Amino acid sequence: MDMPQPNARIIARKSSILALLSQVLPPDAVIGDPAETRAYECDALAAYRCQPLAVVLPRTTEEVSAVLRICHAEGVPVVPRGAGTSLAGGSMPTEDAVVMGLARMTRVIETDYENRFIHVETGRTNLSVTQAVEAEGFFYAPDPSSQLACAIGGNIGMNSGGAHCLKYGVTTNNLLGVRMVLMDGTVTTIGGPWDEPGSLDLLGVVCGSEGQLGVVTEAWLRILPKPEGARPVLVGFAENEVAGACVADIIRAGVLPVAIEFMDRPCIEATEAFAKAGYPDCEALLIIEVEGSEAEIAEQLAKIKEIALRHNPVEFREAQDEDQARRIWLGRKSAFGAMGQINDYMCLDGTIPVSSLPYVLRRIGEMSAEFGLGVGNVFHAGDGNMHPLILYNANKPGDLALCEAFGAEILKLCVEVGGCLTGEHGVGIEKRDLMVVQFAPVDLEAQMRVKDVFDPQWLLNPAKVFPLAVSAGRRDAVTTGPGASPRTPGIFEDRKCQA
Amino acid sequence: MQTHFTEAQLADPGVARANEILRSCVHCGFCTATCPTYQVLGDELDSPRGRIYLIKDMLEAGRPADAQTVKHVDRCLSCLSCMTTCPSGVHYMHLVDHARVHIEKTYRRPWVDRMLRNVLAFVLPHPGRMRLALLGAKIIRPFRRLLPDARLRAMVEMAPKTIPPVSRNDDPQVFAATAPRRMRVALLTGCAQKALNTDINDATIRLLRRLGCEVVVAKGQGCCGALTHHMGKEDQAHSAAAANIHAWMAERRGAGLDAVVINTSGCGTTVKDYGHMFRNDPLAADAAEIAGLAKDISEVLAQIGLPQGAPREMRVAYHAACSLQHGQQIKSAPKDLLKRVGYEVVEPADSHLCCGSAGTYNLLQPEISAQLKARKLATLEAKAPQVIAAGNIGCMMQLGSGASVPVVHTVELLDWATGGPMPRALHESA
Amino acid sequence: MSGVMRPETEAELAEIVAGAAGPLAIQGGGTRRIGGAEGAVLETSGLSGVVLYEPAALTLVVRAGTPLAEVEALLAGERQRLAFEPLDMRQVLGRTGVSTIGGVVAANASGPRRVQSGAARDALIGVRFVSGRGEVVKSGGRVMKNVTGYDLVKLMAGSHGTLGVLSELSFKLQAQPEVEATLILEGLDDGPGLAALRRALGSPFDVSGVARVSGRSVVRLEGLAGSVAYRVGQLRAVLPGDVSVVEGEASAEIWRNVRDLAPLQGPEGDLWRISCLPTHAAELAAAMGGTVLFDRAGGQVSMVLPEGQGEALQKALAGRGQAILLRGAGALPFARSSAEVLALSAGLKSAFDPKALFNPAQSRGLF
Repeated sequence: MDMPQPNARIIARKSSILALLSQVLPPDAVIGDPAETRAYECDALAAYRCQPLAVVLPRTTEEVSAVLRICHAEGVPVVPRGAGTSLAGGSMPTEDAVVMGLARMTRVIETDYENRFIHVETGRTNLSVTQAVEAEGFFYAPDPSSQLACAIGGNIGMNSGGAHCLKYGVTTNNLLGVRMVLMDGTVTTIGGPWDEPGSLDLLGVVCGSEGQLGVVTEAWLRILPKPEGARPVLVGFAENEVAGACVADIIRAGVLPVAIEFMDRPCIEATEAFAKAGYPDCEALLIIEVEGSEAEIAEQLAKIKEIALRHNPVEFREAQDEDQARRIWLGRKSAFGAMGQINDYMCLDGTIPVSSLPYVLRRIGEMSAEFGLGVGNVFHAGDGNMHPLILYNANKPGDLALCEAFGAEILKLCVEVGGCLTGEHGVGIEKRDLMVVQFAPVDLEAQMRVKDVFDPQWLLNPAKVFPLAVSAGRRDAVTTGPGASPRTPGIFEDRKCQA
Repeated sequence: MQTHFTEAQLADPGVARANEILRSCVHCGFCTATCPTYQVLGDELDSPRGRIYLIKDMLEAGRPADAQTVKHVDRCLSCLSCMTTCPSGVHYMHLVDHARVHIEKTYRRPWVDRMLRNVLAFVLPHPGRMRLALLGAKIIRPFRRLLPDARLRAMVEMAPKTIPPVSRNDDPQVFAATAPRRMRVALLTGCAQKALNTDINDATIRLLRRLGCEVVVAKGQGCCGALTHHMGKEDQAHSAAAANIHAWMAERRGAGLDAVVINTSGCGTTVKDYGHMFRNDPLAADAAEIAGLAKDISEVLAQIGLPQGAPREMRVAYHAACSLQHGQQIKSAPKDLLKRVGYEVVEPADSHLCCGSAGTYNLLQPEISAQLKARKLATLEAKAPQVIAAGNIGCMMQLGSGASVPVVHTVELLDWATGGPMPRALHESA
Repeated sequence: MSGVMRPETEAELAEIVAGAAGPLAIQGGGTRRIGGAEGAVLETSGLSGVVLYEPAALTLVVRAGTPLAEVEALLAGERQRLAFEPLDMRQVLGRTGVSTIGGVVAANASGPRRVQSGAARDALIGVRFVSGRGEVVKSGGRVMKNVTGYDLVKLMAGSHGTLGVLSELSFKLQAQPEVEATLILEGLDDGPGLAALRRALGSPFDVSGVARVSGRSVVRLEGLAGSVAYRVGQLRAVLPGDVSVVEGEASAEIWRNVRDLAPLQGPEGDLWRISCLPTHAAELAAAMGGTVLFDRAGGQVSMVLPEGQGEALQKALAGRGQAILLRGAGALPFARSSAEVLALSAGLKSAFDPKALFNPAQSRGLF
């Protein structure tokens, strides 16, 4: 993975930059020792690594603002980091960057059940947001697989989804407002606990901007009343095509399950070996979950069963109790861990039109043979969000490159059939160079102009999202003289921080 | 994760095992979410993933441990919450144990640290020395604020105000079953525990006999080795463990043993790992056999079965010791047993989080330990219990020093409900 | 340039914009414009027609000038719909013309079902538009989950034609429910009437509309027949007031009226639409007087007030929400914003439309 040439002048001034940061942060919030910054060199995409200049761990929005003001003045890039669970390298640093970790900002600021929102700091984990409101019968809907550990800040950066977004939508559909610090230290509020911004939808573009427009320190999130119950069924099929057709028929029929998950044979076999969930021996299986009262669940499942049986499943298994429900989900939830037992893996997340599922799965199988690398597919079938897990050996020279090439071919295929490179993980570092497959130069130019507005010097989360060649002009304009030559003035340059 | 070890490095079985563990880690970060020190400190370096990274770096470079790595590894409680959480089955315990040995061998700690650790390693595993130390602490207690080091103060403060007399039950002997005999079991009577609290073993022996177990306190057994093991003092730990293996195998080969019963879960985790500890040792086969026989008292009781009891109008907050819930993955048995004999059982929020006791941790890391203790007590007391039950002496001491209700061992409540005396702590508070 | 321009293709549209010398007033059906029309009229009705409709994938791609009615008829044929329930503001704004799907998106015009299924911006999964530079730009696509690059889709929805001219739109669709029913709660004042709506919205019974209109609180349920019957029963048991239930067309009519602000079509005066916290709505309405319609359990309050009440309204809001003047002197599609939000909006305006061609009247709200 190519990275821009680090700015030698910044690296040379490391000690003075650390000294400046130490003036605005307590001693335990500034990390500069290379022995310690090493652990921040990557996130959950450990294949790509780069040790940062320093790490800061602020506790308040005011500290975030103070750090950004310093980095802005010094021309130092900043990489925001939530919990470091990105599978796309979204918080991978550069050598001349300061990593800004938000893990200490975990407070619940306000919970308002009548108005159905929670106001939290963004270092708080996704699951702990739900935990904060579940005693009152509420939950926060987006549930990425990493929900136990991933931070709300990262969810906003990547516009995270999850298994249940078929019904409830992704982060952007459940985000009401943010408090955000711009690169020059300006603190601003976009949206609020009410549901219309009354302005351009800045929140819509901040969500999913991968930490490149500002550092979001607080968020107002929609919380929803928990359904009375939920129940999964498991349906096994002898062919991927048939499973795909079954998904289409269920959607067509107007039943709205909260989740439809798909696993193919390699993945089923791996999870059986690891988690022993008792899945049937078949080519493809679906886990379909519906919600509501007992009677409502029965009504929906009857419809689903009727449709599924038309496709001659090898098995139709209805959870009869909590434990059986847990076992149905067990294999799915263990899938990543199970694949990890076999070898290192790279997890992709291209999305395709549901109608292309069988074709795409067949092509992935063929490519797997061509590249000589195993691949298992586990994904959100209701919305076409694939998660091919490509197996490779990180300790074997050349294997990572082969895996990358295979991954690129899969993603190109996704775009070819009318889909996209990433459905919920984000572009990050991983898919950056493939952006030209999906977008024409003018499309990327339009996106980069948005960044120009929020972060004119291109200091926030550098080297992500846009191919280096495409963003070269903008990055060069600012990396040639930080701290030395005059910079493009930001629109907030002369504003005081409003804390 | 990718690793960078040379063939020569991998020839060392310890490094080979570390490499195997590191290779299974996918760096997903799930472990950070349930790590108590990460909750308190919010720095990845104080999370399992960060520590794994530091350890990986240290071992790959083959260099002596540096002060930063030592600081963060020392802050690890070894509560093993991360192992419960890990979706990839990373054996963090073996990795951090290996790192601690590496640190102990290659890092020269500041003088005060060395002194403290040596004193703890010298005293804790030996009940006689422990009693003397407790006596000393009692004398120093009024002057503790004059002590120059927070850790020393913590040690003095942790010492109980009353020191129980030696229980003759802990001497080597055989207790006959008082009901028709169904099992012959050895009881690990422990080291520090029997100096701090003799009621636990007394209650265990009574209860087991009543249920038809012949209980052996084997000659030659002693500390399980856990305390020194977690300090990286491999030789001391191994010699303690070897003594136990010899003592129990003698019984096993003699009159026979169906189980080695352990009522201090911190010890249980270690005894169950003897097989791994001695895997490259002539004792390997015996060690593996003992590891297989080792059972927490709650496992044995669940296996034998307790009589169903009438409701007892007592609300028990069950505190899950990490060594039990994470180290041994025993989660429901103690609660099920308490409910079966008639108690109302409640559990605190975030029950997966450590109370901060963690062996010698509360003595060596008093500040983090105190924060964890405060959190745990707050969540326990939010459930308004009449008594707190735990299956580990360390947790009992830690919680007992701040709880507003008595803290007892699960086995004391089970003994009481099935015909034994009321636990002493309940008497004292009544 | 004079008269009306009506491109037939996206390429023609781009050509017109690239060659434009002065301001352009973008016009779909001309039904929703809030604020005046300045500049040469650029009509989008020539960019019409369905590009792709996959009922089994709940996906529709359509050109922006397509009449809304055509889209709705097409979807109804497959028992599907646009979940966000686009409103028809012709009556309340005193307009004629034909609503286009592009106009709906540009206004992010969303009806009562927003509380359950989101707004137009939430159903929109892809856009193509011509920027003020005359470039054809695309964002998003035709798949339901897509985080590839910045989400310009959301930015374009609700931008009221200030950043670009929409040419093509992709939507995530929803199946029509088997049945719908509405609980009508009578005999309650605004305070308890709104509290009942909040309670319904906070229940696990998945309501798809919670409004208060003409002194009645109404709660809508949609879905499978058995499920709706069950939920009606559950809510009926806990909600206050004299509760009656209507179904089918009678229910649908209630919600068309809520959606299109029917009770506010008659009264003269300034029409305001306020987004606020539901718990604040009753107090706000009491402070202002006027004719009021509460939607979203009070989260959206539409009211007709005498002219010149803007400042009083802002005062009553006290920063706990925002208000837009839809009809009346000085009407603008945007509310008051903080200096930072305005600066960022102005930055985006000049990034996408550097020559300030598009909708100058509406764009004043961005500075």
